[in-house]
Amino acid sequence: MKQLEVKNLSFSYDEATHAVRHVSFAIEKGSYTTIIGHNGSGKSTIAKLLIGLLEKDEGEILIDNLPLNEENLMEIRSRVGIVFQNPDNQFIGSTVRDDIAFGLENHCVAQEKMDAIITEFAEKVNMTDYLESEPTRLSGGQKQRVAIAGVLAMAPEMIIFDESTSMLDPQGKDEINRVIRQLHAETQLTIISITHDIEEVAKSDHVLVMDQGEIKMEGTPEEILLRDKELIRLHLDIPFSIKLQQQLKKNGLTMKPEITIEGLVNQLCQFDLKN
Amino acid sequence: MSIRFEKLSYTYSSGTPFAYAALKDVDLEIEEGKVTAIIGKTGSGKTTLVQHLNALLLPTAGKLEILGRTISAQQKPEHLKSLRKDVGLVFQFPEYQLFEETILKDIAFGPKNFGASEEEAVRRAREVIKVVGLDETMLERSPLDLSGGQKRRVAIAGILAMDPQVLVLDEPTAGLDPQGAQSMMQLFMNLNKQMNKTVLIVTHDMEHVLNYCDNVVVVDHGEILQKTSVHEFFRKTDLLKQLNILPPAIIRTREMLNQRGFHLSEDIMDIPSLAKEILREVKLK
Repeated sequence: MKQLEVKNLSFSYDEATHAVRHVSFAIEKGSYTTIIGHNGSGKSTIAKLLIGLLEKDEGEILIDNLPLNEENLMEIRSRVGIVFQNPDNQFIGSTVRDDIAFGLENHCVAQEKMDAIITEFAEKVNMTDYLESEPTRLSGGQKQRVAIAGVLAMAPEMIIFDESTSMLDPQGKDEINRVIRQLHAETQLTIISITHDIEEVAKSDHVLVMDQGEIKMEGTPEEILLRDKELIRLHLDIPFSIKLQQQLKKNGLTMKPEITIEGLVNQLCQFDLKN
Repeated sequence: MSIRFEKLSYTYSSGTPFAYAALKDVDLEIEEGKVTAIIGKTGSGKTTLVQHLNALLLPTAGKLEILGRTISAQQKPEHLKSLRKDVGLVFQFPEYQLFEETILKDIAFGPKNFGASEEEAVRRAREVIKVVGLDETMLERSPLDLSGGQKRRVAIAGILAMDPQVLVLDEPTAGLDPQGAQSMMQLFMNLNKQMNKTVLIVTHDMEHVLNYCDNVVVVDHGEILQKTSVHEFFRKTDLLKQLNILPPAIIRTREMLNQRGFHLSEDIMDIPSLAKEILREVKLK
């Protein structure tokens, strides 16, 4: 079943440059999609169009077959959540509890129900010990986890992560990636992650590659990541396993292509070793 | 000559109930003319350490010798201003600090502040904008119109315009896309190799440490856990594991293969040598 359908979507910030050009794609319910592309390729613009923060010039966005328009905007925003890049730009409350409550208040959730919801989602992101903490006392990773809890509390069907880990230290990145993977495994949530992390791409279900406002490639991680020449032409990184395989090939060893280090190591271990 | 920390300690809010010892008895020598990576967890004291280099922080105890000057608890260095010019410190997300109407004015602000004439400052700005890989025609534009990566280059150009001998960068590639990060690192390499600048980089990116740096300093709980060459640092992965740091992909691959029966040398640090050694070990059918 389709969660999201985008048809012939276009948008420009000014007349000279088109940030998004005639983009069409569909995303299945419960899938994990990654969107890659260099800075300025239009990835974040698409995210903002999908939640109605920007208004399209042309085309159609359907969420659960519901078209995104002025009339449906509030309904769609309750189904689609977003977590942005900068942990400091999206903390609204003066404590973790207030921050998670903010969205609930906006959606007129009754006060007596709120506490239970806040506790439930703080637990999901492992932040129950910090409910009364002020944002200044939190690390970047903790702030992003609160942002995720705030989004989850709205019970969305789909969450967009717009480079949500790129400003975090490795520990913060790890925390967020773990929370996202766990959410995806435990719930029916549809995930769209805009990322530069090739290892995250390798583990996703579906990949979109953007360049100059267009979708240049679409497919499974294998289908995309093995097209190394095109990726390099689009200024994107290729997996380490592919780089090593290319070198092995130059030296005479050709193997089945692998997009992860684990896969490559497994294959190499099939060979007999000379003592 | 080198940069020397001797028994240097720094305590935030010293003498209050909130006192926090961020650096404890640090002894450290950093060679001039090299690229040194400063690594460690968030909160380990990396930023506190580098903020001593241009006397932005003065030690609570101990001293620092840098470029012929001594900075200690008792004495502010003489010629503090010239030290600030000679040691350029680029903060995290420096693009948030751009403030002038045009890129030219923003870059020229530093040299003017340090006494350069208007003419000289503009000349420097025209020079360094090219060094950071941007076009001279951009100088009249507002810095706010640029992309994140370009803004960061302008901020770095502002520091380079003062022609520092030591360049200190606090997480210079955080938040950039992989290619932006790579070309940023390449820029620092050029400054080091061609202009002989001493470069210190605070980073979490082990791929950058492996590919670009000469030495590594590991900071942990306000102490120097290790200072060694990059090559030595990545030969063993025990310390990395202990610090919960994910090693670079090539080192991980080498270790995974060795755990499963390969005997790859610990000196392997690049793809061609890894491929060559793998082929030496497998029997091809």
